[in-house]
Amino acid sequence: MQSVLSNQTTRKRAAQSGAAGALWLVQAISGLLLVLLLLLHMVAHHFVVEGGLRNFQEVLAYVSNPAIFFLEIVFLIVVTAHAMLGARAILLDLGLSKSASRAANWGITLLGLAALVYGIWLAVAIQNL
Amino acid sequence: MQEYRTTRDGVRGERPLQAWFDVRKRNLGSWAFAINRLTGMGLIVYLVLHLIVLSTLLQGEQGWDKFLEIARSPFFLAFDIVLIFGILFHGLNGIRVALIGMGIGAKNHRSLFWVLMFIGAVLLVVSAWKVFTI
Repeated sequence: MQSVLSNQTTRKRAAQSGAAGALWLVQAISGLLLVLLLLLHMVAHHFVVEGGLRNFQEVLAYVSNPAIFFLEIVFLIVVTAHAMLGARAILLDLGLSKSASRAANWGITLLGLAALVYGIWLAVAIQNL
Repeated sequence: MQEYRTTRDGVRGERPLQAWFDVRKRNLGSWAFAINRLTGMGLIVYLVLHLIVLSTLLQGEQGWDKFLEIARSPFFLAFDIVLIFGILFHGLNGIRVALIGMGIGAKNHRSLFWVLMFIGAVLLVVSAWKVFTI
């Protein structure tokens, strides 16, 4: 692992050209963003709320705030992108054939898009309750 | 995507999935890599569950109240601790991986790992206390 690690560092993966380097950078940046967004999410949704969870009316009042709604959508986009890139890395690391890799890429893209569409639809539907 | 290379560490064989669980000559980086992936997969499952749970809001107050009852049970609270462990490990180790990948702190990656894990352990204890006392 040490040799892999130092090889990766020497090559400075972030500076790699091509799709793999760009996707790695997206995953790293989305991961760092998630640390902040998740911290905010945990504090605002659980740690400052009596009992740790809001009741139905409190949830509706909370998500009716446009700033909160915006943050939740940003959180959804960032977490979906990060999760799908991670799942893709695991799948491709299994040493798939070219056609299977292509299918995995398409499958991950469609799954991510479906999660985004459903998540945004759900957020809008909850706000309109 | 052709430039993508599969992960190999020289000790384990050519079967990548089997290599994850091969404990021979494991060093810190290998363990961190394997646990990072396992927690990542767990968090993906949790995200799907989270979307399903949030969908119960559409069933109105009764649907949400039913979830709140389950969410406040001791079993679910214990599950929260496992979840927080996954988030903390994946998040903090992810910071280390991102920094090292960008060429920052590679020489001190072991110390960086243990400092971050210490922070994670403190946050886990504080979170666990919060979960059971809030």
